[in-house]
Amino acid sequence: MTFQSYNEADRSITRFIEQGDGDFETLALALHDLQARYVPAIAALCQNRGITPGSNHQIHQIPAIPTIAFRDMAITSIPEQDRIHHFESSGTTAAKPSHHWHHRKSLKLYETSLRLPFQKYVLNGKKWKGRILALTPLRTEAPNSSLAHMASHVLGSDTIHAAECCDNGWNINQHICDTACEQAILSDDPLLIFGPAFSFLHWLDATDTLHKLPQGSRIMETGGYKGRSRELPKNEFHKLLSERLSVPESHIVCEYGMCELGSQAYDREIGTRQERAFRFPHWAQPIIINPETGNPCAEGEIGLLRIIDLANVYSSVAIQTQDLARSVLDGFEVLGRDQAAEPRGCSLNLLQQT
Amino acid sequence: MRDTLPNYFLFDTQPEAHLTPEVIAEACRQLKRNRAQYLRDMPTDQLITHLSRLAGNWQDDLFPFRKMALDTGPSATGFSRSTLAHGLDRFFARITEDNLHNLIAQELGDCRRLDAPLSTPEERSENRLAFARGPELIGHIASGQLPCPTMMSMIQGLLVGSAQFIKCAENAGWLPTLFAHSLYDAHPKLGACIELAHWPGGQTELESPLFDEADCITATGHDETLASIQTRINPHKRFIGYGHRVSFAYIHQDMLSRALSRDLAQRMAQDIASWNQLGCLSPHLVYVERGGAVRPEVFAEMIAEALDTLETTQPRGEISPEESGTIAYKRNFYEVRSAGTGDVRQWKSKEGTHWTVVFEEDPVFTTSCLNRFIHVKPIGDLEEMLRVAEMARGQVSTVGVAAPKNDTETIVKQLAHWGVTRVCPIGQMQDPPLGWRHDGRPPLGDLVTWTDWEQ
Repeated sequence: MTFQSYNEADRSITRFIEQGDGDFETLALALHDLQARYVPAIAALCQNRGITPGSNHQIHQIPAIPTIAFRDMAITSIPEQDRIHHFESSGTTAAKPSHHWHHRKSLKLYETSLRLPFQKYVLNGKKWKGRILALTPLRTEAPNSSLAHMASHVLGSDTIHAAECCDNGWNINQHICDTACEQAILSDDPLLIFGPAFSFLHWLDATDTLHKLPQGSRIMETGGYKGRSRELPKNEFHKLLSERLSVPESHIVCEYGMCELGSQAYDREIGTRQERAFRFPHWAQPIIINPETGNPCAEGEIGLLRIIDLANVYSSVAIQTQDLARSVLDGFEVLGRDQAAEPRGCSLNLLQQT
Repeated sequence: MRDTLPNYFLFDTQPEAHLTPEVIAEACRQLKRNRAQYLRDMPTDQLITHLSRLAGNWQDDLFPFRKMALDTGPSATGFSRSTLAHGLDRFFARITEDNLHNLIAQELGDCRRLDAPLSTPEERSENRLAFARGPELIGHIASGQLPCPTMMSMIQGLLVGSAQFIKCAENAGWLPTLFAHSLYDAHPKLGACIELAHWPGGQTELESPLFDEADCITATGHDETLASIQTRINPHKRFIGYGHRVSFAYIHQDMLSRALSRDLAQRMAQDIASWNQLGCLSPHLVYVERGGAVRPEVFAEMIAEALDTLETTQPRGEISPEESGTIAYKRNFYEVRSAGTGDVRQWKSKEGTHWTVVFEEDPVFTTSCLNRFIHVKPIGDLEEMLRVAEMARGQVSTVGVAAPKNDTETIVKQLAHWGVTRVCPIGQMQDPPLGWRHDGRPPLGDLVTWTDWEQ
C-alpha cells in the first residue's frame, strides 16, 4: 500500500482512528514512505540508512525520530507558510523546546486522536455531567501547550481553569482549586480534575485542606514533574490524591503523552479493576527497543520506548523517546530513575544536552 | 566478597546487616581506639614501606586480591577485566616509596614532619619547628563510580595517621573494600583503623554519629549535596568538599601533523576508555584547533579508529539499560543531525553502544553521556575555546593539552587564570600523580593540623 498524497493518508488514518478500518502495520509503513518523501529530516535519515520506499517490512524498522530532534529542526511535512500553530515541550531548562508544527488539518486529526481515548478512559464513554477543574491555563493563554490545548478541547467551556501563566510555565491558584472542590461538594456534583502531577502537588503542598469530593469524582493526571515540584513515586502520589481529595485510586487515571506525539496512552479505564499499564489507542503502538541491538526487546526486558503513532501524519510516524520502559500485560510501564540503575559517573548537569 | 573473605568491615555484612546509628557510633569509637594503639605513633617510614609494598603486590598477577579484583570485579563493578587491570596498574604504579616520601615532602616541607617537630630552612631562620598531625578520625563520604579516588583517600588518610570511616558510593564500594581487605591481610593493625559501609543517600540519622565522632569530614558530590552536608557538621570541625567536575582536551594545530596525530589520537582514546570515562578527570569533549595538517574532522575519525582498536584489548563491558539507552538515544539524534547537515558526523561501534565519536562544527561546550562517548569540535584558538567553554567555568578539573613545548607555559597560565586546576598531557588525564592537588587544594595539607614550636 502506498499513499499518493497527504490528503489520502489523512483520510485513511482518520477512518482507521474512527472506525478501525484498515491494518495498523500497513498504514504505518505507507505513512512512513510518504513522510520519507516530504519530511526532510526523515528523507535524509532514510538516505543515510539506505532505506528506499517499500524496503521496510516491519514497523520497528521504520527510522524513528528522537524527540530531541524536534528541538533542533522542523520535523514536519507542512510547508512553512501553512504552519498556523505549534506545540512546545515544557521544561524548566534554558534549552530550546521541541516544536511540533500544525496546520488546520493536522490539528483536526490531533483533536480526534485526543478526544476518543479521553472519552473512553476518563469518562467511560459517557457524557460528563459533573463539574470540571483543570490545573492548566486556558488554551488562549498558553497556546503552545499541548496539555492546555487538550484540556480546552476535551473538557469543554464550562471548565474552571486554576492555572495562571508565568515565565516558567504556569502557577496554580489554590483558592480557585479549593473553591471548585467546595462548590462540587455543596452541589453534590462529581468533580473531574485534570492536570500534570506537579500542578497537583503545587496545590496540595500549599494548602492543608481536605476535600471529600462527591462520589464519581475522578482525576486525570499526566505524570511528569520536570523539576517543578518535589517528586513522588506514582503509588505514593495517587495515595496522596486519594487521601486529600477522597477520590478512590480506582478513579485516578494517569496519562502518558508528549508534544511530539499525536496520541496519548492511559494506564487504566477509570472505575475498572484493570491492572495499571499504559495502553495506547489502536492507532498507536509502543515498541520497547533494546538499546544495544536496536531490535525490539524480549517480553519484560527494559529498553527505550519507541512509539509508532499514526496520528503523527504530518510529522514522524515513529518517535523515539528517551524513556526507559518495559512491556507489562497488554501495555507498557515507564520506569522512573529509581527503578532503573542510576547512571554512573560524575558528569555535571552543566546544560541540557543539545 | 562475603563468600571468600571474612567479614572485617561493615560493608562485608551488607545489605543483610542492619546499620543503626549506634553501630556507626561504636565503629567510629573502635576506630579511634585502634588508631591510638596502632597507627598514631607508627613511624612514617614504616607506614610508607607497608603501603608501597602493598601497592607493589597489587601489580602482581599472582596476588590473590588482584586476582579477585580481576575475576570477580567485572560482575561486581561493571568494568571489564582489562579496564580494571589497566586502571589498577596505573593507580598502584604511582604508590611507590619515593612518591610517598615526595608527597609528604611536597605537602609538609619534610617527610618526617609527622613523626617529630622539625624545621625547614625558612623556619630555622626564625628558630622554630613544626609538627603536623592528621585528624583522629576522618569520615569520607564518597561518590562516583571509580574506586581510585576512594582508595587514594584511604592511603592519604593513613599517611597522616588517621583512622577512617568510609561511606562508599552506591555500587562503588566493592573495590575499595577489597583494597581494605588486602591492607588488613598484610597489616591487620592498619586494617583495623579503617571501616567501610554503604547506606543510601538521605539517611541522615546514620551520618550524624559519623559527623559527631569524626574530626574531619571529606565529601565528594554535587554542590548541593556538599552544601547540605556542611550544614550538618559542627563548624569547628574540618570539612573538605570536592564538587563534581568536568574535564576536556585541547589539541593545538601544530600537534596535528601527519606524523604525530595518529599517536595522539590513540592516547586520546585511552583517556576516553580509562574507567569508561566515568571520572571527573575523563574528557567530555575534545577541542581541536583548525589549521593543522590533519583537519579536526579527520582527527575525530582517528580517535574513532583508536577506540575501535581499544575495544578489542580493553572492552568497555556491560552498562545499565539507562546508560545504554541514553547512548542509543543520543546516537539516534546525531544520526538525524548528521543526515541533515554536513556539519555533523558520527562514528560508532559496529555493534552495541561500546564507543561513539560525534564531530560537530558547532563549538558550544557539550557534556558527554560518558561510557566512551566523546564529542570532538573544531576551534579557532585557545581564546575561542575558553569563550565557548565559559558555561563550564569554575567546574572544570582537568584540561588535557597537546601543544608545542614552547607554547605550553603560556597555555597553562591562561587556563589557570580561567580557573582550570590541572593541565596534563593527552593520555594521562585519568592518571593524576600522587601529589595531584585535587580541585587545586593540597592533598595532605588540607588534612593536617600544625603545632608550631618556637624556641
